[in-house]
Amino acid sequence: MEHPLILQMQGITKVFPGVRALDDVTLKVRRGDIHAICGENGAGKSTLMKVLSGVYPHGTYEGQIIYNGSEIAFKNIKESEKAGIAIIHQELTMIPELSITENIFLGNEVVKHGLIDWDTARHLTVDLLLKVGLTIDPGTLIKHLGVGQQQLVEIAKALSKNVKLLILDEPTSALNEADSANLLNLMRELKKRDITCIMISHKLNEIAAISDAVTVIRDGRTVDTYDVEAGRVDEDRIIRAMVGRSIENRYPEHTSHPGEIIFEVSDWCVEDPQIAGRLVCKHSNFNVRAGEIVGFAGLMGAGRTELMRSIFGHNYGIYLGGTVKIKGKEVHMNSVASAIKHGLAYVPEDRKSLGLNLIDSIRTTIVSANLKAIKRGSLLDPDKEFQAADKYRHSLNIKTPNVDTGVNTLSGGNQQKVVLGKWMFTEPDVLILDEPTRGIDVGAKYEIYRLIHALADQGKAVILVSSELPELLGMADRIYTIFEGSISGELNCSEANQEKLMRVMTNTSVAESNQERAEL
Amino acid sequence: MKMKKQLSLLLATALVATVAMTGCGGRGTSETKETEAVTTTEETTTEETTTAEPEKGFAADATIGVSLPWLGTQNWKEADEMFKTQLEAAGFKAIVQAADNKVPQQQQQIESMIQNGVKVIVVGPVDGTQLGSVLEEAAAAGIAVIGYDRLLENTTGVDGVVQFGSVKTGELQGQALLDGLAKVKGEGPYNIELFGGGPADPNAPNFFKGAMSVLQPKIDDGTLVVVSGQTDFTQCATPDWDNSKAQARMDSLLSGFYSDKEIHGVLSPNDGIARAIITASEQAGQEIPVVSGLDAENESVQWVWSGRQYSTVAKPTDALVSKTIEIIKSLQAGNGMPAPDTNVNNGKKDVGVFELPPVVVTKENAKEIFANDPGRLDLLK
Amino acid sequence: MKYIKQVLGGELRQYTMVIALAALIIIFNITSGGRMITPSNFQNLLSGNAYVLVLAIGMLMVIVIGQIDLAVGSVAGFSGMVMALVARDLGFPWWLAVIVSLTIGLLAGAWQGFWVAKLGIPGFITTLGGMMIFRGGVIWISKSISVPAPTELKWFGAGYLPEWGPVFTGMNNSTLLLGIIAIAAYVYGQLRRRKRTAKLTGTTEPFWPVIARIILVGGIIAFFTWIFGTGRPGTSFPVPGLILVILVIIYHIITERTQFGRHIYAVGGNKSAAALSGVNVQKTYFFTMLNMSFLAALAGIMFVGRSTAAGPSDGTGWELDAIASVFIGGAAVSGGIGTVLNTMVGGMVMAVLNSGLMLMGVGADRTQVIKGLVLLAAVAFDVYNKAHGRRSIIGAIFPEKESKQSEGKPADSREK
Repeated sequence: MEHPLILQMQGITKVFPGVRALDDVTLKVRRGDIHAICGENGAGKSTLMKVLSGVYPHGTYEGQIIYNGSEIAFKNIKESEKAGIAIIHQELTMIPELSITENIFLGNEVVKHGLIDWDTARHLTVDLLLKVGLTIDPGTLIKHLGVGQQQLVEIAKALSKNVKLLILDEPTSALNEADSANLLNLMRELKKRDITCIMISHKLNEIAAISDAVTVIRDGRTVDTYDVEAGRVDEDRIIRAMVGRSIENRYPEHTSHPGEIIFEVSDWCVEDPQIAGRLVCKHSNFNVRAGEIVGFAGLMGAGRTELMRSIFGHNYGIYLGGTVKIKGKEVHMNSVASAIKHGLAYVPEDRKSLGLNLIDSIRTTIVSANLKAIKRGSLLDPDKEFQAADKYRHSLNIKTPNVDTGVNTLSGGNQQKVVLGKWMFTEPDVLILDEPTRGIDVGAKYEIYRLIHALADQGKAVILVSSELPELLGMADRIYTIFEGSISGELNCSEANQEKLMRVMTNTSVAESNQERAEL
Repeated sequence: MKMKKQLSLLLATALVATVAMTGCGGRGTSETKETEAVTTTEETTTEETTTAEPEKGFAADATIGVSLPWLGTQNWKEADEMFKTQLEAAGFKAIVQAADNKVPQQQQQIESMIQNGVKVIVVGPVDGTQLGSVLEEAAAAGIAVIGYDRLLENTTGVDGVVQFGSVKTGELQGQALLDGLAKVKGEGPYNIELFGGGPADPNAPNFFKGAMSVLQPKIDDGTLVVVSGQTDFTQCATPDWDNSKAQARMDSLLSGFYSDKEIHGVLSPNDGIARAIITASEQAGQEIPVVSGLDAENESVQWVWSGRQYSTVAKPTDALVSKTIEIIKSLQAGNGMPAPDTNVNNGKKDVGVFELPPVVVTKENAKEIFANDPGRLDLLK
Repeated sequence: MKYIKQVLGGELRQYTMVIALAALIIIFNITSGGRMITPSNFQNLLSGNAYVLVLAIGMLMVIVIGQIDLAVGSVAGFSGMVMALVARDLGFPWWLAVIVSLTIGLLAGAWQGFWVAKLGIPGFITTLGGMMIFRGGVIWISKSISVPAPTELKWFGAGYLPEWGPVFTGMNNSTLLLGIIAIAAYVYGQLRRRKRTAKLTGTTEPFWPVIARIILVGGIIAFFTWIFGTGRPGTSFPVPGLILVILVIIYHIITERTQFGRHIYAVGGNKSAAALSGVNVQKTYFFTMLNMSFLAALAGIMFVGRSTAAGPSDGTGWELDAIASVFIGGAAVSGGIGTVLNTMVGGMVMAVLNSGLMLMGVGADRTQVIKGLVLLAAVAFDVYNKAHGRRSIIGAIFPEKESKQSEGKPADSREK
């Protein structure tokens, strides 16, 4: 008996230490549909898919998954693959030094008499490639393929495993227009072969173009799910669902008193360190006043972090041109050390891999960016170190009995406070905060917001990069939006709302014209 | 709390034990030292002024230390066993250790022997020049030091050396090569190559010198042609006596100089290297050259018997070990060092050297020479 | 438990290896019939292992930054050989030869540092190359023959401190003086720390743990003073040991109390985070590699002094001994963790094992096997600890839960 629903996920709850990533999520997917899942960054979409595909094994989450009419409990990806569920990740997972054939059959080799039967594998590969519309030599190394082609090979790999349910996690985020169109066509083809697709995407135009149903997830909950009438998606409804939470009382009251412009970046250009000729920052201009909180909005990969890190002592990419003025004076910051000396501080987006040395204690972390301040003579003074660390432990309300605690034992919120303390200890004029509240629970978020306000009140210029639009709207005085490396808009907070922001961030027509401008 | 108690108990026991034992240990050693000191303190003073010659002897069941460089070749393995059995047969206690060809390890072994209160240390050095301070320490502790098979250089802490005359050995090797060439390869001139031993072993240059004293006149008059032109010891030396390095050098000599020539003979400083040379020659498609050797290792004895290796030189390990034990017995009885065959300056002092004659072994005389060595005689079948 | 913690301070885990070391010494003293704990054996332990421990100091820093240096043995051999050669063939006085040798070490370090820091070649590869280059260099310049070293150097490698002053002390007075200085320094340090902690935190530590610490540590120092000072007349705390102690103090301060030291740990713990905190990662790599080769040269000099001659195969395998010491001392393979003091304890564990097994007459073959097993066990213990929330060995032997259950039954506890 064919069940009309291929997949039913009910009451899925997944808790990470300190964070409830999924909270009672429900997802129903009809057989043969293309089902879109949308939501803000960090809303829990990818987590949900990881639960489905067995990356998080059965038992580490609560809830029930019914697939093809029966309840399933995958222990690992291998099992979900066997059941016909394949996931195409945002980051491609193929091995660049191996050929297409080798990649497609990696871990699933065609074996005859104990040896790999490469001839058969090659023939099968050619067939699979045809199915995804590729006519290239299966012996080609992956590294010689474009991103779009690699994506198609990934799908071919999934097809080789006789996939029934294909999950694509932001499949077009790295693709150009032509490749994206190509991919969408392929998804329609797959639909004809009775393969169900779940597509995670923020691109509303794509969702409108191909999906049969949409589920919106926000803050780990399903907030809306409905069918799409052929080719017509109510974009407003999706946007409202994606961002529509009440923002009252989430952000502390604050009136800012912006002063002079103390930080000014003009004509900033940076080249991608990996891909020669690709600009990750295109002639960016912006400024920040003393005591002002300026937000930076943009989709993932738009180039916000890249911009900030390149300004912060050329820590990222290859500097091509542009100037930075601090308090009206042009400064050159060729290294992070010089940036710190000029009064800049940067709290990185990825706390664990960039912000902290996880094997360190709170005490050593807090002073680590300004060791000069705890020197006495030519030696570091442990007493001064203790005093400094203890001061921030109190003033930032870091919840730990003493400063010798290892930072790895702290919760995300407290870790972030340690990072903030570390940068406050350098006594900066300009603070760049890159996603300062990511992965932090609501209570700690509120404390960090208060800290940001306090910093602004001390006359510091604060740059707040965030993917959470309400946060930007609630905190910033002014917001710049970035699209594909260019600053695509500037809004005063009073005139901005989430819908407006989302449009500037995603509206391809604006973006295209920007891109053209940048290329001229 | 239980844990606290356990821990404090543990710590306390440890501390008490440490103090107690060290107390005992310390006093213990000083006591033993006192009793021994009767014999040793006086010696120490005499040793420091003159050469170290314990004159009062020591207990007949005293411990004797033997430090060998390694057990990687047959002669050292034999020495290891013979020292153990023969020292014990003579009523001594024996500590026989090998140093894996590492100088620091040998230094530490000698120190631990001193620690163990040995009366005599027999040293087959890894590097005869690098034991200076530990041997002087031994001398200062009243221990007699006997060099075994190799000279102990650059130190005052040595009382005598037992070895086969190394220059003599070299002469024999050179002569055997000449004889073999005349016998096996017909009329000259002969194409030959030269190999030396490990440069860190003070014997190696002497072997080479001895051999060259025989070969050089023949090279000068054109009977022998060293095709590669490599006749300097440093060019011919085989680091660490390593067979594989010798084989690699032979391979490159053969491919570099003998693609259109025949090689007639090779001077080899020992058996392992000789076999490496023969193997390399066979692999290069050459007729087996006349190759000399040393040590009469089992495999080479067989090869000599079957005609693959022309000759080897036997330095009968038992003779060397017996001579060493003879000296130890003389020291034990309080008769001091026997009169040496010759004196050699080791850089710091003149050392008495007891030289034993080596013997050339060829297919013709093998049965005769090994008549008293059932193990090797067995191989001649 | 609480009281002991108060005396020793902080985590007990850091004392695991010290306790293991003490246990080893005691066990060997019993099995070797009292030959382990004697003045001359302790002097030998230091003289015979000082050069490896000097290497281990540098190796610790290299491992903390997440690199490895395989060339230290070769660099040590090369610098030692250069020293012997310039003294013999060019007639340099011994002190100038030493300076030349140390300069060679610095140049070798700059060479390695250049490849690692500027060109980003992994340390493993760079120093594998260096190992071959400098080993070849030794054999080349020495023509593979040992070269006698200036006799003055023997003092550095196997010398003793002078004898002076009154005889009634019954021991070497230089050693006695060192011991008194050490105890005085410790007492002063403890009292000062107590005062400053009181000032900082406002809570005054009671006097008794301080006294207990002083008695414990002072007793240990006094014991060692006695052991080293009462050897054969003319012997004392050995000079190479003194060099080592001075280096340990210097490098302990460098790693714990200087900006450079902090940078080493920061780079090793998280290179990207360190870079974003203003640490010059390249510079840190460069100077760590430079320092390693400098210490290698120093180790080479000490060894040549002890051996009285420089040999072509000096230094072979030393890098592995140094690396083993560092890991037994609890450093992390992934970098960022490890201290100079623990490394010294790790090195001494190896040294005591070596010495004890030799005293027992165990052959080199089985000694190697045992050392290999100890290395594995020590690192496995560390890894296990990390995976299970850093329980100390004491915690592992006497689990907390159990001790709570059987509270009030001290009889049981003695049996364990």
